[in-house]
Amino acid sequence: MKGLRVLMLRLAGLFGGAQRERELTEELDSHLQMHIDDNLRVGMTPEEARREALLRLGGVEQTRQAYRERSTLPLFEILVQDVRYSLRGFARSPIFTITAIVTLMLGIGATTAVFSVVDRILFRALPYAHADRLVSVGLVQSLETQEFMLGGFYYDWRNGQKPFEAMTSENAVTGVCDLTERNPAQLSCPLVEANFLPVLGISPVLGRNFLPEEDRPGGPKVALISYGLWLSHYDRDPGILNKTIDIDGQPVRVIGVLPKDFEMPRLQAADVLFPMAADEATDRKSNSGLGGPKRVFARLKPGVSVEQAHAELEPLFERTQKWIPAEIRSNFKLKVRSLRDRQMQDVHLTAWVLLGTVFAVLLIACANVASLLMARAAVRRRELAVRSALGASRARLACQALTEAVLLSLAGAVAGCVLAEGLLHVFLALAPAGIPYLDKVHLDLRIVGFTVALSFVCGALFGLAPALERPREGMLTGRFPGSISHGTVRQWLVVGQIAASMVLLTGALLLLRSFWNVQNQQLGMREDNTLTASVTLGEHNYAAPESKMVFFQQLATRLRFGPGVSVVSVSDSLPPADGHGGMRYGEILVAGRPRSAEGAGAVVKERWVSPEYFRALDIPIVRGEGFREEELGSSDHFVVLSEQLAGLLFPGQDPVGKRLNFDHVSFSDAPWYTVTGVAANVKNGGLTGEEEPEFYKLRRDRAEDWAGNGRWGQTSVIVLRSSLAPAEMSRWIRSQVAALDPTLPVDIATLQQRVSKLADQPRFQTTLVGFFAAIGLVLAVIGLYGVIAFLVAQRTQEIGVRMALGAARGDILRLVMGRSLRLIVCGTVAGLAAALAVSRVLSSLLFGVGSHDPVTFALVTLLLIVVALLATLVPARRAASVNPMEALRAE
Amino acid sequence: MGDKADVWQGTLALMVLKTLEAMGSMHGYGIARRIEQTSGNLLSLNYGTLYPALLKLEQEGSIAAEWGVSENNRRAKFYRLTRAGKKQLEKEAQSWGQTTAIVARFLASSEDPV
Repeated sequence: MKGLRVLMLRLAGLFGGAQRERELTEELDSHLQMHIDDNLRVGMTPEEARREALLRLGGVEQTRQAYRERSTLPLFEILVQDVRYSLRGFARSPIFTITAIVTLMLGIGATTAVFSVVDRILFRALPYAHADRLVSVGLVQSLETQEFMLGGFYYDWRNGQKPFEAMTSENAVTGVCDLTERNPAQLSCPLVEANFLPVLGISPVLGRNFLPEEDRPGGPKVALISYGLWLSHYDRDPGILNKTIDIDGQPVRVIGVLPKDFEMPRLQAADVLFPMAADEATDRKSNSGLGGPKRVFARLKPGVSVEQAHAELEPLFERTQKWIPAEIRSNFKLKVRSLRDRQMQDVHLTAWVLLGTVFAVLLIACANVASLLMARAAVRRRELAVRSALGASRARLACQALTEAVLLSLAGAVAGCVLAEGLLHVFLALAPAGIPYLDKVHLDLRIVGFTVALSFVCGALFGLAPALERPREGMLTGRFPGSISHGTVRQWLVVGQIAASMVLLTGALLLLRSFWNVQNQQLGMREDNTLTASVTLGEHNYAAPESKMVFFQQLATRLRFGPGVSVVSVSDSLPPADGHGGMRYGEILVAGRPRSAEGAGAVVKERWVSPEYFRALDIPIVRGEGFREEELGSSDHFVVLSEQLAGLLFPGQDPVGKRLNFDHVSFSDAPWYTVTGVAANVKNGGLTGEEEPEFYKLRRDRAEDWAGNGRWGQTSVIVLRSSLAPAEMSRWIRSQVAALDPTLPVDIATLQQRVSKLADQPRFQTTLVGFFAAIGLVLAVIGLYGVIAFLVAQRTQEIGVRMALGAARGDILRLVMGRSLRLIVCGTVAGLAAALAVSRVLSSLLFGVGSHDPVTFALVTLLLIVVALLATLVPARRAASVNPMEALRAE
Repeated sequence: MGDKADVWQGTLALMVLKTLEAMGSMHGYGIARRIEQTSGNLLSLNYGTLYPALLKLEQEGSIAAEWGVSENNRRAKFYRLTRAGKKQLEKEAQSWGQTTAIVARFLASSEDPV
């Protein structure tokens, strides 16, 4: 208590110092007077009396100092002094201050913003207990690159495995289901095993998990609902427990509510969780004897690594392989990876690239601040020498230097945080849909702290160095051998900066060229004036293939008579997006040829289309003809091949009229398709993927052609060309869909929008890396300019002497530029080497341009050299215009 | 002056408090003089050190100060003991007594032949 009181009083003592000083003076005066009075009384002379009184007091000034130290907090007072002094110093050299703060702002702001994004992707804790032990397990093949398992072998694995504590699965296809009570809605409804939540380490916030008996065929109909559904439809009423709700027209009892932050391991939407309710025997036989497809997750035993688990599963995998048909066996691989990897896919690489980029920017920024502080220190050596001569201790000088570094870092940090907040908004606006969690990103204070600490350390380090140096003789006169060592360090810093920005620029330009290629490639179809509408039918209301067919036929008919509509087509999917509908090349059987396993794994795209499809997308038919209206009613099957597939199947022959069988592996009575024509190739493997061979099946007016199930089977896409504006047209399409079924959601976009969305990821990468490269370049140029300008300033006298001795302006210009060129060349060469090594990382992000693209490297080198030379031209010209007389007089 | 003992740290505060207890209200010069007299002129007090000590005691709330007029009609700052100061004095006097008693006993015992 007493300590606190004293501290407060002393803090208060920091203010009102003048008043206190006056009082003390008065008190000491009266003390001396009384003492002198006493001395006079004992018979001293006035001089003696005064002298004796002063002696006994021990010096007025010392007393005053001791008193002052006692009345305030001396350390604190020094701090206040230092801050004030630093601020005055900053105000005296505004250019230095602004440059330093802006540099720090860019460094801290960019790093913080990117770190905040990347942190969620790379380092975020998944919302599961001990998430680091969760893995995704399964087989992969060319048609399905994400791990999956089939009921036919899943149970053998589950019972025979050793590396896992437990395995669990969800149905590979997450179906849609309809809430069919008041306020109906289409929901996403994953099917999971009863042990799904326990294996993930999640317990419901309300109610309980599934019981084993609920996970059996014919068990009671129960479900867990998501927190979101509980909130939006049931007002967070705890009474929802054990109530029944109507899903797909059936009563389902709610046994629990999922936690707010629950997410499926594959991050798909989940409104209602159902138990899979499949017993082993039935499941093994389903899906034409293969077993139901599943996504399998497992919890590693403590201490078991992913690699160990992979090795231990190898025997099970070998047994399973024997069960796969021989033609395609070699196409299947075992894959075990951490859940985080499964979720992040290739976003990982983007995240690391971004992280590397900002780290380079941060380094450049730090080098700049260091360089600035060193230049400032060199200029201020004389001042330091004076202060040290006046009695400032080294600790005191160091303290002052530290204060400056802290102030700069603080100012930079505040500005940086503002910048980071702004940058985050830009990121969110730019970011492609595929980056998980981006909507939850926010500025992370830990990261702000980290960057501020880093900038402070770099500031303190270089600010302290000169202050700690032993004051040398001659410093006061300003005659000392110059700041040779500092000069060298600063030059090395500039070389490093140039090298780093070289790497950044190379990366940015490579990505830019790649993005250019992505944007300007030939898609093989027309995108303008084309509207697309994707509709997914509920599995309950549209279970029969017939009903799907009728719905889309009716919709197409309604749309065909719309205002300004010239063509309407219906297909199950659209290029250039990748991702669904395909088969292995080796499975295609040509009539009159033996079966072959040749090129077994290569993927061939398959698409169900209506006759208008080619006209709607303007895909030319290069041979034979497209589908005809009258074929819609035929009992025969028709197919159009892409040029690429025709070339593969019938090299040098006319494919028209040939007959193909696509499903003979699964069904011995699979239908034969007659080739009616060949269509030009279309970009169909995503914007950056390989162009794949493709065939189009005519979707006739027969229920058998609409039999697909799952989400893909329920979805069709309408392509529509109209002379009306897209906004008007989409309203009209919505009204037409609603007229048929008001509960159906419709996803409408122009074809251009859909294509552009596919380019989101490259656009995101390119913009960010380009942005940081620009920042890096600007900072490096500022650094170079600073160093050269400083060198010129330091050598003004020497230049004056040279000119007095007859050097021409050109000689001086050459002298300075030569110095600068040396730095630039060193930096560029180092940068080239680093860029060559680093750019390989980017190769999987690049499209149509090699990671060692010579044009890019040449351009970057040229750009860097030109910009850097320009940056040195200003100080060089100043040096050349030095007036020898003035320069010498300055001596 | 050579034979006089310096005032060692910590005891000055105690002396000030005791002086103020005895004299009631007193100014700095008076306190200094009184301490010297009480010590039988054995102590050499550097008067200057008194003022930071007074300030410390004031900050701790043991004494309070106000301006007044001295016996010689001079304006001076007078210090007096507060209630908290009295308590502190008691406490410190007691602990000081203990310390000296212990030291005294210690010295006495070492002189005795065992």
